[in-house]
Amino acid sequence: MAHIPDGLLSVPVLLCGAGVAAAGVGLGLRRLDDRLIPRAGILAAAVFVGSLVSIPVGPSSVHVLLSGLMGLMLGTATFPAVLVILLLQTLLFGFGGLTTLGVNTVNIALPGVLFALLLGPAIRRTGHAATRAALAGLVGALSVAGTGGLVALSLAVSSSDYTPVAKVLMATYVPLMIGEAFVTATIVTFLARVQPDALRPATS
Amino acid sequence: MKRAVLALLLALATVSPASAHKLKVFATVEGQTVRGYAFFIGGGRPEGSPWVAKEAAGTVIASGTTDAEGRFAFALPAAIATDLTVTVDTQEAHVASATLAATRLAGAPSLVPPAAAPAAGAADVAVDDARLAALIAGAVQKEIEPMMEQLEAMDARLRYTDILSGVFLIIGLAGIGLWMRGRRR
Repeated sequence: MAHIPDGLLSVPVLLCGAGVAAAGVGLGLRRLDDRLIPRAGILAAAVFVGSLVSIPVGPSSVHVLLSGLMGLMLGTATFPAVLVILLLQTLLFGFGGLTTLGVNTVNIALPGVLFALLLGPAIRRTGHAATRAALAGLVGALSVAGTGGLVALSLAVSSSDYTPVAKVLMATYVPLMIGEAFVTATIVTFLARVQPDALRPATS
Repeated sequence: MKRAVLALLLALATVSPASAHKLKVFATVEGQTVRGYAFFIGGGRPEGSPWVAKEAAGTVIASGTTDAEGRFAFALPAAIATDLTVTVDTQEAHVASATLAATRLAGAPSLVPPAAAPAAGAADVAVDDARLAALIAGAVQKEIEPMMEQLEAMDARLRYTDILSGVFLIIGLAGIGLWMRGRRR
């Protein structure tokens, strides 16, 4: 649901998306250092594979986005990672489109980066495993909700023909939010136990 | 890091390659009806999603919602000379359409009328035609079955190689990034 195909969005929305994506990717590339490059590569590869497994839900089929996890582990470097993933999915499988690459990158990466910035410090600081899991789950769920909202917004602004219907969006995104929350919470809890450094995108 | 790569390769090995995420519409003409269905590549049919059929000019010919199997069907109006486009919208940002060329729409009915044979032999001709049609359908089915199976197998293999090439491309990109940083120092 996050890959908007070619030909649905209006030119201003496409340009706006491309602009924000370029800014995000530029910001992220500057943050990529020796520590983050391998991490970004492995995470991008894992998410690329993980997002190919889709589960039918009601009128649609959903797959994990893991943008919340990427935001927590990579910070703004999430933008280039998501761009690479989407580019490969477009070229190899025909999901999404080349013109919508910018918009799709923003729709997926931006919520993850923002919510990880907001809740990340609390996740890293807390010594309580349950609190950490709950917060990580919240980041995962909110990122999915943010992506859903941005996808709906980009379609609504472009034309009224294909505006997503709130009821259908709820039916498909709520299960995904719950699933994503569990996956993110599990991975973050595990990383905090074995390698807490993996949750810090910035060298501090 | 080594462990992470190993875990990734394990995940790759266990992942079912035939799963993905894109809506497609399939439509075909059968006599005077158009039938078809929408499906997600990798499994799943959009249930209860609105569909609409339009001609080239944009006039709506028929519309409705898909059934539990994602199917739709509608009768062709008599006078139609342009391409026909069926669009399915799942109402959550998945939209796909299929276009039926005008020649396909016109071709189906025009085959039937020439059977205006001599009145006396009309019944015989009809029976012969029906038998012939059944025979041909059976023969074609038998011929293409192994081909369809081969197609399926090839599709699954292609997807797997695509996934692998994607993963290695990402690893390559990370390598290039590291090399460039190392050179700058």
